[in-house]
Amino acid sequence: MNTKRFGFAGVFAAFALAVSTLVAPSASAATEIVVWADESRGPNLTKVIAAKGDWVAGYTVKVVTFSSFDALKDAFDKATDASGPDIVVGGNDWVPTGAKSGKLAPLALTAAVKARFNPTQFLDLTYKGKLYGVPVDINNVAMIYNTKLVSSAPKTFGEMVSNYKSLKASKGLKAGLCIAGGGMSWGAHSVFSALGADAYQFNSRGGIVYGRTFSATTFGSNVRKYLMDGKKSNGFFPATDTGCKDNFLAGTVPYAVIGNWEWADYVAKGFTMNLMPVPGVKDGTYGRMFGSVSGALLTTFAAKHGVEAGAKSLLTNFFASTDGQVRYQTLEKRPPAEKGAQADATVSAAQRGFGSAASLAGIPQIGAFLNTNKGGANYWDSAPAYWTAVLIDGKDAVKEASKLASIWRVNVEAGKSDL
Amino acid sequence: MHDSWRHIIAISICLFALFPLYLVVISSFASSGSLQLTSFIPQEISFKNYQLLFNNPTIPYLSWVQNSLIIAGAVAVLSVIIGSASAFAFSRLKFKGRKQGIQLLLLVQMFPAILAISAVYVIMERVYSFAPSIGLGTRAGLLLVYLGGAMGVNIWLLKGFVDSIPAELDEAAKIDGASEVQTFWLIFVPLAAPVLAVVSLLSFIGTFNEFILARLFLVDMESRTVAVGLQQFIGGQYSQNWGPFAAGSILASIPIVIIFLSLQKYIVSGLTAGSVKG
Amino acid sequence: MRASISPALLFSSTELGPMRMTYLIRGKVALLLKIIFVSLASAVLIMLAQSAFAQREYVISAFLALTVLALALTYLTKISIPLKFFIPGILLLIAFVIGPILYTVTMSGFNYKTGNIISKEEAIVQVKIRGIEADPSGTSFDIKLGTYDGKEAILISDITNLKYFISTADSRTPVAANDVTLNEYGVAITAPNFTILTDAQMAGADKSFSKIQFQYEGEYFIALEGFEAGIVSRQVLEYLPVTDEFRNLVNGSIYRDNGRGNYALVDDKTAILEPGWRAPIWFENYSKIITDPRVREPLVRVFIWTVAFALLTVLTTFALGLLLALALNRPIFGRRIYRSILVLPYAMPSVMSILIWGGMFNTEFGAINTLFGSDIAWFSDPNFARVAVILVNLWLGFPYFYLISSGSLQAIPSELLEAAAIDGANPRQIFRKITLPLLLQILSPLLIASFAFNFNNFNLIYLLTGGGPRKELDGEIAGATDILISYTYKIAFGTGTQDLGLASAISLIIFVLVASISLYSLKKSKVLETFG
Repeated sequence: MNTKRFGFAGVFAAFALAVSTLVAPSASAATEIVVWADESRGPNLTKVIAAKGDWVAGYTVKVVTFSSFDALKDAFDKATDASGPDIVVGGNDWVPTGAKSGKLAPLALTAAVKARFNPTQFLDLTYKGKLYGVPVDINNVAMIYNTKLVSSAPKTFGEMVSNYKSLKASKGLKAGLCIAGGGMSWGAHSVFSALGADAYQFNSRGGIVYGRTFSATTFGSNVRKYLMDGKKSNGFFPATDTGCKDNFLAGTVPYAVIGNWEWADYVAKGFTMNLMPVPGVKDGTYGRMFGSVSGALLTTFAAKHGVEAGAKSLLTNFFASTDGQVRYQTLEKRPPAEKGAQADATVSAAQRGFGSAASLAGIPQIGAFLNTNKGGANYWDSAPAYWTAVLIDGKDAVKEASKLASIWRVNVEAGKSDL
Repeated sequence: MHDSWRHIIAISICLFALFPLYLVVISSFASSGSLQLTSFIPQEISFKNYQLLFNNPTIPYLSWVQNSLIIAGAVAVLSVIIGSASAFAFSRLKFKGRKQGIQLLLLVQMFPAILAISAVYVIMERVYSFAPSIGLGTRAGLLLVYLGGAMGVNIWLLKGFVDSIPAELDEAAKIDGASEVQTFWLIFVPLAAPVLAVVSLLSFIGTFNEFILARLFLVDMESRTVAVGLQQFIGGQYSQNWGPFAAGSILASIPIVIIFLSLQKYIVSGLTAGSVKG
Repeated sequence: MRASISPALLFSSTELGPMRMTYLIRGKVALLLKIIFVSLASAVLIMLAQSAFAQREYVISAFLALTVLALALTYLTKISIPLKFFIPGILLLIAFVIGPILYTVTMSGFNYKTGNIISKEEAIVQVKIRGIEADPSGTSFDIKLGTYDGKEAILISDITNLKYFISTADSRTPVAANDVTLNEYGVAITAPNFTILTDAQMAGADKSFSKIQFQYEGEYFIALEGFEAGIVSRQVLEYLPVTDEFRNLVNGSIYRDNGRGNYALVDDKTAILEPGWRAPIWFENYSKIITDPRVREPLVRVFIWTVAFALLTVLTTFALGLLLALALNRPIFGRRIYRSILVLPYAMPSVMSILIWGGMFNTEFGAINTLFGSDIAWFSDPNFARVAVILVNLWLGFPYFYLISSGSLQAIPSELLEAAAIDGANPRQIFRKITLPLLLQILSPLLIASFAFNFNNFNLIYLLTGGGPRKELDGEIAGATDILISYTYKIAFGTGTQDLGLASAISLIIFVLVASISLYSLKKSKVLETFG
């Protein structure tokens, strides 16, 4: 029985070996450029690229859409040569870590291409003097006010607070100013700044000042004066952004900071885009808002896949071109980064409103200062923690402010070397 | 009444159990996208969220459900076969290293697998380079990864049950000339149907829920599982849309709940039979 | 005294009668099927092993080859019968569980974090690329790719000065303006002896052209920036393979391998070239856990909470489940309905339930605060967050213990309980002295398993609180509800610096802890005695 078994087995094994030699593994396509994007950008990019097939002659472009921004980041963190993309459309805060880890490859753009963008946009995508991607669209926020509740644009922060107090009972207001877009660290910077706490300090010539930080006493006392009622919050400014958008749209919050990517929802509900920066404590001053750039970043995998020149061409011919940006933003509806596209007629009035608010009081988002946690925590974690500590936990506004100030000061110092 | 305390306890815990589920149901019929409880009785019933799941071409909800069912179903069936075969061997067959073997299996399960994800990702990437149909990004690949733990996960329950089946049956079969493998398939499997049903259901639910590996592996919109796909409603950078999430969750749970309820009797006897020794 | 349940007793050996014949028939057919199946499987695996070998994945190829051998030996010979049951499971276990675990353990001995992820060869390539600097005035030209004299070349058009030349890797040849033809943008597309690449050829030429440094002037060369532009650049960092150093060609500084995965400036070890690579540092990650207070203190605190969390979860879910099982032990009216409802939390996909609960705990609009009219900042206060976590886990877990307690209660033979009642014991004494000990004996492996599961219950913490709340302003590193695994996950994959090496070391320690606790409990509960 045993020999018979082995006999059978032997025959079949030989057959198996013969079959397997006939089938050879197929080679992968060497002319495909793979682009990774998140759940909102991916579908739009796919449509735009499919509409015109030859952005780079001789190459096909494949867009891979991830289910969420986190999923995209997760996968990119783990990607290696075999599965990594050639271009990834990501946030500007990925540039420092990606460059450090050798996942992103530096680009050198010609002067002609660079001239089509605002130089601060490149700052966002630069690490240690090298550029790692092209700016695709701008993300910024601005404050919108409900004309049914407040008839005119507020001139000072105090005006907003007194409007809230007087209307609170009669209109059943849930809050005075809330952050509907951008979260309590990014979107809320305008409130920080309006009350006196900028993430980093500029001198009169627009250069960064190191070693100095905002005045904790001034900021803390402003917080006490405008946002608190004794030891508790006076309800004007909620510490979280939950429900803000719904409440504003329902007419129970007069002022809201909204993001430029969601203006369409507000217009649909009948709001006019009367946008402005958050007014500061003194008339004529404003709180600065982050204007950050999302970029199409070049990866080191592109060179490994043999599509480096193709990917670079895609970046300049599509992502950084007027034509490409106009087509893409028509679907994506964010403000394009490229100057020619910004002037294009299809960019809506709303985006122009955001743009002018930004130019009035904008601050570039410099990842090197904001992402480092040398001071104990990075900007993104420490900023919302302040609101929670003071407005919810009832801690002292000035004490917590000085903790915050020293964290930010150390971070800016530490980030200097990464610029 | 003597039994009223039983009803009081049962009803109060039932309320506890139902409350979040009731909230999900209301949210799925609400038109605003938040999880706020504005009133206990919903003011308006809107089917907007359900429509979004089926009519929006950028949200292939049915594909997601199909993917989840296929993968979870395959894992459920295959892991039960693998697990019960191992349990049978550990229980019935005498061989060297039996005790150490099962101890090793238990130990391996205690490693925080989340951190080995990078390693699994790298392995599957390499598999993709020479076998694209079972590597990264394929359902078959994810299936293989899930099956990696098949042997150890339910070994206790299964082994306990096999232990409780008297050895006389095995001996009778041996006398009739059956080999161990035949004993397994022809005698044990039919007898163990309740326990196997339970184990496969637990496995099904566990796989259905898994999203960390699934979102890494199945990126393509069409090949996602439900758990991953629904995440995109509430995982957005700056926005959360609870309405479609609630609607999708309810629809995805219905089949599982139905299976669970209809197999209830089996489950109870199965779970305990596995833990009681003869 | 041991309780026993044997549905198998329902079968008597006479029922095996009809099966006798089937054995003999199935014998031959089974054998044939087995051989076909094994051969097919072997064919597929051999094919995969060959592909793997062709793609230079030697480890995987060897593993697959061994798999074929193992399958053939196991199923076609009588070497080992238990192995016939184990082999598929073991192979999958090795490939996808043990292999990754070993890889992770290996990684714990490396300096494997953000900035030190790739291999050394790769890092050298990347540093060389970053060592290319563009000409300070940003000179760039429009180019077209092609061949000249059989070599790769580019046809360069300096549009501002109306000068044209052809450049290869070794030479630069000017071309007169009237020898070229221009396209509508003023870019030269033909020149004598220059054959331009067609669109179809471009993709294939990408790899070779991208690497070439086309001649320009002196140390400056032209590097491709896409297919249409060339940027004047020079190499500032040069790699010296003999001494394994990088040299800055402009100021002469030398960068040497610092043994920790970076090239560091010889005069100032803190100035490093990026990217670095993953370098072996042996036990440093482990010693960091013990010696560095920034790592050690959060770890100790998180460990204590993890043990407390797992214990409390097991206690509360078991208690509630048992209570329900006792309450519904009698066939009262509506018991079926109760049972169906009580099972629902377990049957619902937990991903969704956890996220819904998270929404319910919201301070301003959450259902809980709205319902009870309270004002508690659930996820901002450390203690309330912990209560919330235990509460949600109770909701998720009590049905399981209800089900098994329910069945176990039925498994306790009624004769025991009746005998005790006759002896004069009241219900409470019966419960305490007989029912409870028996139950514990029956369920102890499951209780231990539940402890081990919740010790590593990543999903719950990640989805519900994210590990928070955390006092960032006070420099806290771990959150109040962080358990070991979620904390380690943040170290490995969080925002900011990701330290996989350290996380792997911590996870190995977690593993040792959980394994010892579980093994000890198992020994104590004498469960392993079942293996004679």
